[in-house]
Amino acid sequence: MDPVQMDALRRSLRVQFGLEGSLMEQYTTFLWKGLLHFDFGPSLMSYPEPAGKIISTYLPYTVGLSMISTLLAWIIGNLIGLLAGFRKNKRSSKILEGIAICLYPIPYFIVALVLQIFFAYILGWFPLTTTINSFQGFGVFMASLIKSSILPALSLLLVGTGWWIISMKSLAATTSEEDYVLYARYRGLSEGVIGTKYVLKNSILTQVTALAMSLGGVFGGSIMTEIIFGYPGVGTLIQKAILQSDYNMILGCITISIVAISTATLIVDLVYPFIDPRIRYS
Amino acid sequence: MRKKLVSILMASAMTISLMACGGGSAPATGTDESAGTAAESTETAGDTTEAADTTETTEATASSDTASGEMTEVGTPRNETLIVETQTPTDVPGQFNTYMQGTTTGFGIHQLMSAMMWEMDTAKGEQFGEVADGMPESNADFTEHTVKIRQGIKWSDGEDLTAKDVAFTFNMIMNTPNIGASDYYNSIFESVEATDDYTVLIKTKESFPRLAMKMGVTIWGNDLRIVPEHIYSQVDDPSTFKDENPVVAGPYTVKSYDPLGKWVLYERREDWENTTVGVVTGKQCPEKYVWFRYLGDDTTRQMAMIQNEVDILCEVTPEILTAMMSSNDKISAWYNEFPYATSDDPCSKGLAFSEGQGAPYDNPDFRWGIALAMNFDEISMNIFDGAGRSSPFGILCNTSAFQELYAKPMLSWFEDFELDLGDGTTFKPWDSEYKNRMAEKLGITGDDAYLEDMFGVGCLKYNPEAAEKLLIKAGLEKKDDGWYFGGEPFTINLTYLADTEAQAGRGVQAAYDQLTKFGLNCNISSESSATWDANGGTGNYEIAGYWPTGFITKDIYSQINGYDADLIVPLGEIGSGQGVRWNNKEATDIIHKLAKVSPDSDEAYELAQEFIKIQFTEMPFLAFHSGVKFVPTNSTYWGNYPNADNAYNGPWWWWSCFKYIMTEFTTN
Repeated sequence: MDPVQMDALRRSLRVQFGLEGSLMEQYTTFLWKGLLHFDFGPSLMSYPEPAGKIISTYLPYTVGLSMISTLLAWIIGNLIGLLAGFRKNKRSSKILEGIAICLYPIPYFIVALVLQIFFAYILGWFPLTTTINSFQGFGVFMASLIKSSILPALSLLLVGTGWWIISMKSLAATTSEEDYVLYARYRGLSEGVIGTKYVLKNSILTQVTALAMSLGGVFGGSIMTEIIFGYPGVGTLIQKAILQSDYNMILGCITISIVAISTATLIVDLVYPFIDPRIRYS
Repeated sequence: MRKKLVSILMASAMTISLMACGGGSAPATGTDESAGTAAESTETAGDTTEAADTTETTEATASSDTASGEMTEVGTPRNETLIVETQTPTDVPGQFNTYMQGTTTGFGIHQLMSAMMWEMDTAKGEQFGEVADGMPESNADFTEHTVKIRQGIKWSDGEDLTAKDVAFTFNMIMNTPNIGASDYYNSIFESVEATDDYTVLIKTKESFPRLAMKMGVTIWGNDLRIVPEHIYSQVDDPSTFKDENPVVAGPYTVKSYDPLGKWVLYERREDWENTTVGVVTGKQCPEKYVWFRYLGDDTTRQMAMIQNEVDILCEVTPEILTAMMSSNDKISAWYNEFPYATSDDPCSKGLAFSEGQGAPYDNPDFRWGIALAMNFDEISMNIFDGAGRSSPFGILCNTSAFQELYAKPMLSWFEDFELDLGDGTTFKPWDSEYKNRMAEKLGITGDDAYLEDMFGVGCLKYNPEAAEKLLIKAGLEKKDDGWYFGGEPFTINLTYLADTEAQAGRGVQAAYDQLTKFGLNCNISSESSATWDANGGTGNYEIAGYWPTGFITKDIYSQINGYDADLIVPLGEIGSGQGVRWNNKEATDIIHKLAKVSPDSDEAYELAQEFIKIQFTEMPFLAFHSGVKFVPTNSTYWGNYPNADNAYNGPWWWWSCFKYIMTEFTTN
């Protein structure tokens, strides 16, 4: 290549990769382009495709899968945990707690493998690997997406539910022994009212904070689930980027995760007064 | 009120997530351009290509449903669809221009669509013209080459493929600096022009006797893929043109692709007789659809193969292969029994010495000492339970072709070769008995020819005493507490690529065991592909499991020209030549001479033999086996795959010659 051309090419590459200027200027450029406009430059492993564009292709799938499974696990886990904690001496509560204790420590990828082998390989009810048919209309697309997402979602849901059950059970059991719960019983309120109005409301506060943290984390994807089911998510994208030293892609994925977690924390702080009157009145 | 609000918010979040998944990727119908459906009308050059739309797919689906009842997940009849695994998904779905960086060529692009100048018969080890009509005719000093172009090949939009397309492609590469090969082409070619519709005149700046070898396929493929002038001349920059609706000369066109990059569905061209394969062979590929799909991790690949959800996998380990074969009797490989694998992949695996690191790695005595310190029988058992053809020929890989063309004719030289051990004694390292020992150990019976094909004509002897003497000759010192070099305790760092290439990784692990047993202090570590690639080029390793070989033709120039010592750059820099930095003047002189000699001449063959002797003496790369590939096929839907009993081609699904292999498949 002609030396003049070579210089021009080198200069354009330096600009593309944000390497022009002093360190402070490069950092300012990153804040402006990366943080505010999600422009992380070209992906190194898929050059010259912008890293942001590739992330935006995968992000909805990760968010869709993880968000739904996290929310469902939170709702189901808290309801079961409430029952197990509020009626801790009942046999059904002990069984539910036992199931949760068994489920919770199992790594989610083991659950994923078991589900895959049983439901996809042995029974053949679901596809072994995610195949999304996007060229035969929206209905076929949605059907293939849902069919491919059920097992990955279930693997996350089962383990997640176990954790929420245990934590809520513990909170509900403690709350159930508070004086105001005892007072409510002396007043002759029904168990249902005590459970929902007194125990749930006071126990759920911690769980809301934890939910926000979990929701922020969904942007990072679930690497093992995505790998096992071949699910097109950000988790596998990060893994591939790390293995191939695609720094722009790594930076993009991590930045989005940081922004998501920070935003979730902010939202919790803003929402808290609506859930907890003590904060509103103070 | 608050409960309702929370419910509405949660329902909205789920709906938005699902819509977001669909919004960027799924068409409402076949008319949505964002769909990733490439087989819509192509109007780039004014012509319109009729291709399957959703309606046609639905019809195909319905008729086939009646016929077999089995459909693929992409809505094609299973019995008309060949399903092939691709090794990696793509992050740039819809990018089919191989001159744009990032394009995943192995996703069926070069196997099914690309037009190569010269293709390869891997069984014979011979090239033949694909776009070119025969081999080039060159003048006496190989500076002018006349290439005839085959008549009758048409692009998928109906235009004729002519010499203008060929000349345009060469000039496009030379005039587009962002195309990787541009510099190289500019350094070689003076001019490329079409002298009539079916003749191209290529002038080179210097003598260039290997036009077909350099510009055609010799193993995996070639970066020169002829493009349609009427399409590519319309784009501003061919290096940034994605070519989402490719117009091709190969037998298949893109019907659809996954916007997430996990699969591409190809459909056979209606005018198959006008395609490259149709014109060259007169045969039609029996597969109406070819679905290249990425399956994911090994467990999923294994289960998919057993469940007949894929017909061809790229490569597996022997453990996975035997597990699959025991679960589904339709699954087989090159051999139906041990060793299962083909040993004709032209990439030997073994130990590369980074000679740029200096002493002792740049000393042939040290490298030979390492070689004799290891028991090859045990290494072989550790890698693939004894499967594989030994390849003790350094950077020349012992494929069947090499064994017949070079190894057997030169056998007496290898047998007589002696090493000077430095203490006044010599040692002959050649071991001809390897095949017999392995056959006995593994219970294999057969004549010499059979066993030589399976295990090779020989290997290097295991002799710790000779190894010790050679290491001492290389400057190492043996003390009670281990080996020393330069007065310091000597440690070898061994590295290998993590996750992929089981043969290479297991080879390094086996070498670590052997060298440790011998008494050398060793460390072993794996590296991610990015680190691995960078270290390979810069020479930032000591001994590593790289595979710097690749050979299948009689002419070895293309395999060895990277070992030209003039191309060596300092340690830490990446040059255009070898990473091992083997600096040998005699070898370099031979490479320079070979560059100017006709590849078909006797002189080229003699020079090749001289080169083989020099590099065997110096052993810059210590190879264990040739490339051993366990490539499973499933004959539930398709049959007549190439195998040891029917070796009309190699099992190279990821090579560009796949389109010719496919013509031989039959429906089951």
